[in-house]
Amino acid sequence: MMETLHRYGPDLLTGFGLTLLSWALGTLLGLVLGFVIEIARRFGHNLLGYPIRAYVEFIRGTPFLVQLFVLYYGGPLIGLRLDALPAGILGLTIYGSAYFTEILRAGFDAVPLGQIEAARAIGFRNTTIVSRIMVPVMMVSALPSLVNFAIILTKETVILSMITVPEIMFQTQTMMSETFAFVTPILILALFFWGFVETISRFGRRLERRFTHYLLDRS
Amino acid sequence: MTIQHAAPAAAHLRNVNKFYGPFQALTNVTLDIPPGKVTCLIGPSGSGKSTLLRCINVLELYDSGEVRIDDQLIGYESPGGKHMAPRRLREMRREIGMVFQQFNLWPHMTALQNVAEGLERVRGLTRAQALTRAREALAKVGLADKENNHPSHLSGGQQQRVAIARAIAMEPRIMLFDEPTSALDPELVGEVLGVMKQLAAEGMTMVVVTHEMGFAAHVADRVVFMERGEIVATGSPREVFDAPSDPRLASFLQGYRERNSLDF
Ligand SMILES: Nc1ncnc2c1ncn2[C@@H]1O[C@H](COP(=O)(O)OP(=O)(O)O)[C@@H](O)[C@H]1O
Ligand SMILES: [Mg+2]
Repeated sequence: MMETLHRYGPDLLTGFGLTLLSWALGTLLGLVLGFVIEIARRFGHNLLGYPIRAYVEFIRGTPFLVQLFVLYYGGPLIGLRLDALPAGILGLTIYGSAYFTEILRAGFDAVPLGQIEAARAIGFRNTTIVSRIMVPVMMVSALPSLVNFAIILTKETVILSMITVPEIMFQTQTMMSETFAFVTPILILALFFWGFVETISRFGRRLERRFTHYLLDRS
Repeated sequence: MTIQHAAPAAAHLRNVNKFYGPFQALTNVTLDIPPGKVTCLIGPSGSGKSTLLRCINVLELYDSGEVRIDDQLIGYESPGGKHMAPRRLREMRREIGMVFQQFNLWPHMTALQNVAEGLERVRGLTRAQALTRAREALAKVGLADKENNHPSHLSGGQQQRVAIARAIAMEPRIMLFDEPTSALDPELVGEVLGVMKQLAAEGMTMVVVTHEMGFAAHVADRVVFMERGEIVATGSPREVFDAPSDPRLASFLQGYRERNSLDF
């Protein structure tokens, strides 16, 4: 056991690192793209609604694995030649954006119109209304769903192994096929994800408290 | 008190029409709102009072006619012309304060932040200046001791007074009130009306949609009665309440008196 760990330790560390990296970038960029899409839909031209809807429905209606294959193996056909890791991160970004944009849409819809009108009546510009009022108010209802989806994305990262990204799933699979041991690799994988998800949940709860403190504290 | 009222503005509506789809909410509304006076809008629910008020600061864009603040057209670049550029509209809205039935305070900000936010983001004051002015405005509505409370920890009457402070801190030249006391428990109505009376006494131009006939009778300079999107009668409180000439107005007041079984 110690021997296998010694032998595979560096590879496992690389795997952890790549999983964390692709998750962090995929989530962050997916959130940013989802936000941009929602803002375009809400404040842009009415006609933008149709392509955005089609995009969201397509991404939500197909498996992530298929999207990733299309991107990685189909991309070169249209001149999009990406290495496995960037392709994986881009795939996660696109996949996440469709879900994030829907969560944000529901969140923004739940902001009472009167609070927006009050800002408009005072003469706020739209960008200020979004950043100072809509986002903080929306976070109360949307944050749990956003964190939840970020957690789901941790587990989607294993699919990057299918396009040869040497992340943690890839490393443990290699370990299994070379050593014929299953328990240790699976245990490592499980412990890693358990710690990973637990950390995100804790962080999420801290954020939630930050955005909802005003509902709780007594002044 | 350093919260100064800028010179009060007049508002003029000329043949204003407003449609919601096929439904006409305002029909040929012509109304002059004199500067420094209190104009009360009364009328049955659904008669278009809110719509009229919201056309003055273009929260609703009227479809035809003209709305002017003093001489300046609002909503369109020219009569019947292009929509007003957003920047111009924002500039004009700074002059127009609005107070809503549901207060519409921002729940994630304290009372002080609610008042200071517009001063900082719209008026361009520094943080320190904005806070100083916001504190003055809160003091003016009697809430100096509540500046750190979030709206969820204020009574309805206190929330509405913060909302008034938020509006007057911007030094508007005209103030619009849409049923400011309708969402309040009866015992909290007085504190809000008190602040409004004080503003009226200081010479603010006020347009007040209200069901508080007592307030209209005692504070208004002019009372406007609306029904089905039209202005049916206007006059001094005396003319409107003591000798209503229009039968629809008379029956509206009759109904009100019966529901409230009191005189004014
Ligand atoms: N956004 C809207 N869409 C469709 N109809 C509306 C809208 N706002 C108001 N109305 C209609 O316009 C009429 C006047 O409404 P409103 O101005 O709110 O009346 P009031 O304030 O006098 O009660 C009502 O019949 C109402 O149903
Ligand atoms: Mg109304």
